[in-house]
Amino acid sequence: MRGLLLRLEPLIWGLFGGGMFVGALLLPAWCLVAGVLLPLGLLPAAEFPILWEHLYYQLSQPLGRAVAWSAVALPLWAGAHQARHLVTDFGGLRWDGLVGGLCYAAAALGSLLAAFAVLAL
Amino acid sequence: MAEHTKIIAVTRFDPERDDAPRSQEYEVPVQEDWKVLEALNYIKDHLDPTLSHRWSCRMAVCGSCGMNVNGEPKLTCREPLSNYGERVEVAPLANFPVVRDLVVELEGFLEKLGALKPWIMLAKQRAPEEGATRQSPAELADFKQFSMCINCMLCYAACPVVANEPDFLGPAALATAHRYNLDSRDEGAAQRAEIMRGEGGVFSCSYANECAEVCPKNVDPAGAIQQAKLANVLSWARSFVVRRRAAS
Ligand code: SF4
Ligand code: FES
Repeated sequence: MRGLLLRLEPLIWGLFGGGMFVGALLLPAWCLVAGVLLPLGLLPAAEFPILWEHLYYQLSQPLGRAVAWSAVALPLWAGAHQARHLVTDFGGLRWDGLVGGLCYAAAALGSLLAAFAVLAL
Repeated sequence: MAEHTKIIAVTRFDPERDDAPRSQEYEVPVQEDWKVLEALNYIKDHLDPTLSHRWSCRMAVCGSCGMNVNGEPKLTCREPLSNYGERVEVAPLANFPVVRDLVVELEGFLEKLGALKPWIMLAKQRAPEEGATRQSPAELADFKQFSMCINCMLCYAACPVVANEPDFLGPAALATAHRYNLDSRDEGAAQRAEIMRGEGGVFSCSYANECAEVCPKNVDPAGAIQQAKLANVLSWARSFVVRRRAAS
């Protein structure tokens, strides 16, 4: 298993890197603005008009679906990768193949489900 | 110069006599401007000639005086004693086998470094008549930071991955390999690629960034490793396109 993971590392790390970008940078900013600051009136709604119908329309376009899928799936890979490294950092190197396999399998499953959800938009 | 005393608690270990490392305290009359190394040299010269520690240049260049001071990896020739209280603990660098007292075994590191071929490799040897290989300031800037490493091993003592994965090539070795890959005069990246992305290579790094925090030369080995990962991802992706093209 470790050998396979090692061969797939560039792909995994690419997904992880993308996930960190989306999940640690873009999503929190979006959640902060759209989920906290605007509803609480801490930002002037007039200057940050979020047209939800328009957004929904965009997200149901092919490119929009890809964006929505990335926003869900990529952070899953980042989380899986982090969790795997966390186990190693706590001395679990000998289970790395198993842990890595399980983490990425979960991320892959989540990505698949996200794909179904996005296609249903 | 004002003088007062500090307790320097030094980790002692003689593999021929001791089963385990032990701490030995020395009362040292220190001067205000002393570095940690000067207190150790005082102990060696005036209190206990059996103490073993490494040092040479005393100016943060040779990289031989790295030790854990109050648990943190430091270059002792650069680390002011005044940064610490009345009791200072000096131990050998973590994550290395101890040869004796404060002296650690670097053989493992040197093997890893050597395996990464840290020298300029050319696809074809140039004849002297062809003249020197020129490099622009911009090309030099690409890798200069990563070439400042003095092999002091502070980054290995700080790295949680080195602590857990004995095969991990480690921050300094990988940063140095990346430094050669970035060098416009070098053509050896392909020869380093397999070991760099193999077991214990760049992808073992979990980017704890401890190496960059402790590096006395601002090498930023963690940054070098992330760059090397990215280069690896890109060349992996490119390999599909090139293979496809070759196939069609
Ligand atoms: S990268 Fe920095 S900390 Fe690591 S060996 Fe080189 S100079 Fe020392
Ligand atoms: S003695 Fe040379 S780096 Fe400290």
